[in-house]
Amino acid sequence: MKKIIFSTVLALSPLMAQVSQEIISPDVTYTLKEGKGLDSVQANCSMCHSFGYILNQGKQSHMFWDEKVHKMINAFKAPIAPEDIPTIVGYLSTAYGNGK
Amino acid sequence: MKRRDFFKTAAVVGVATVGSSAFGSDTTTRQPIDNRPISKINFPEKRPMITYSDRPPLLESPREVFSQTITPNDQFFVRWHLPEIPTKNDPDTYTISINGLVNKEYKITLKQLKEDFEQVEVTAVLQCGGNSRSAFQPTAGGIQWGSGAMGCARWKGVRLSDLLHRAGLKKDSEWIGFNGLDNAAYYQTPNFVRELHLSELDDHVIVAYEMNGEDLPYLNGYPVRLIIPGYYSDSWVKMLSNITVTDKYKSLFFMDVAYRVPDNETESETPDHKFKTTKPITTMNVKSVIGFPTNGEVVAYGSQLVVRGVAFDSGIGIKDVFVSVDGGKSWNTAILDDGKAGRYAYRGFRYSFKPETYGDVKIMAKAVDKLGNEQPLAEDIKWNHGGYKYNGIDVVTIKIV
Repeated sequence: MKKIIFSTVLALSPLMAQVSQEIISPDVTYTLKEGKGLDSVQANCSMCHSFGYILNQGKQSHMFWDEKVHKMINAFKAPIAPEDIPTIVGYLSTAYGNGK
Repeated sequence: MKRRDFFKTAAVVGVATVGSSAFGSDTTTRQPIDNRPISKINFPEKRPMITYSDRPPLLESPREVFSQTITPNDQFFVRWHLPEIPTKNDPDTYTISINGLVNKEYKITLKQLKEDFEQVEVTAVLQCGGNSRSAFQPTAGGIQWGSGAMGCARWKGVRLSDLLHRAGLKKDSEWIGFNGLDNAAYYQTPNFVRELHLSELDDHVIVAYEMNGEDLPYLNGYPVRLIIPGYYSDSWVKMLSNITVTDKYKSLFFMDVAYRVPDNETESETPDHKFKTTKPITTMNVKSVIGFPTNGEVVAYGSQLVVRGVAFDSGIGIKDVFVSVDGGKSWNTAILDDGKAGRYAYRGFRYSFKPETYGDVKIMAKAVDKLGNEQPLAEDIKWNHGGYKYNGIDVVTIKIV
C-alpha cells in the first residue's frame, strides 16, 4: 500500500511542472583555430558566450571584427583591457578573416 | 527565332548573368543558408536541432518543421541573449511583480494567474527579427540564422491588460518595461529589458504559461512569457518576472540600439552609408516558408508531389499563396487551410503537381496579404545593418530522377 501511495504522488507531480528537477543544459564544444592571440580570446570572450557566436559569423574583414569587439565593450560592457583589443581583433581577422 | 537572333539573345543573357553574379557575390540579398546540419546533442525538452551556441542557447528548427502549422514544442526555436539562465524555476513560489506607477506593488503567483483571471488562448507566430539573416550580403551583424528562427504555437494565459488593471495603473502611466530572469555574466551588462508603449499593448497581448497544451519548455521561457501577436519576438520576454510601469521612456540598449531598422521608406541603407535614424522592428511583414520538399530532395519522375508550407504576417491575414515550379515564370494558386487558427497563426498551404522534366526543379512560394502586400524576390530586398525583416520569396531546389 505504501508503495502504491508513493507512486501516485510521483505520478501527480509532473502535473505541477513538466520538469521538476534542475535543468541541465549540455555543453557543446566549439573549437577555435590555433593562432596568435587565441589565449586572449579564450580569456575574454568565453565569459559571456560560446565560441559558436564567433564561428557562426563566417569569414569577415578586419573592420567587421573590430566593430564586433568594440560592440562587446561599449554595448555589453565586457571588461576587455585596451591592450587586449588589437590582440583579439588580430586573432579573429587572421583565423576568421576574409583578407580585407 | 532565327539562328542569328538566338545568338544575340544568348549573348545578352550571358552578359547579364556574369554582371549580376560578379556584383551579387558581395551585395545582393540571396536565399538564406539552408540545410545546416542538425546537432547530435539535444537540449532539455528538445529534439536535436541546428545549434549555433550552447551559452546562451541558440537553436534553429530545420526546414521540414514548416510542413506543419503548429510547431511541436520540442522543435521550437530557442534564442536567449544573456548567458546566465536559472536552472530551476519553482512553480509553487514563482511570482511576477508589477510595480512602478501602480496603486501598490502587485505580486502574482503562477497559481493566481491560472485561477484568478479569465484564461485566454491565442495561436500566434513567434519569429526572431533576425530570422533568415544569412540572406543578407555583406554579412549583417548577428546570428546567421537560416529560415528556422520561427514557430507557431497555441499559447494559453491571461491578458496583460487584466493584470495591469488589477494592479491599478496610475494616471501618468505610459511605458511598460518587461524583464525576465536571465542575467548577464557581468552586472554592468545591460539587462534584456523591453519597453513598450501602453498603446501597443492591446487585449491580444497575454502572459502565457502554456504552449500547445503543455508547460512552456524551459528553453522557451518556463514558467511564463509574454506573447505579443503580430510582433517580432524581441519583446516576447521569457521567464517574465518583472513588469514596471513608468511615465517616461527609459533609455535602454536593447531598445535603443538592438532590433532597429533604418527609419526610411524602404528600411534600408548601405554598409558605407548607414542611415542615421532608426526605428524598432515592431510588426512582422508577410512571409512564407516551404516545409516540404526540402533542398536537395530527390523525387522520382512521374510521382505526384504535394508542396507544403506555412504563410503568415502581422495579423492582416493571408489572402493567397502562389507557387511556381518554373523558376518564377508562372505562378499557381496554392490551397490554403481553413484559417480557423486565427489571423496571427500560420496559414498552411499546399500545392500538388507532377514534375514533367528531369533534373533540377526550382519550387518557389510567395504569400500575399489582404492589403496586397506580397513577398519580394530575395535579390530585391535591400540591406540593413542588423539583417532584420528578411521576407524573400522562398526557393527550394529538388532533383527529379
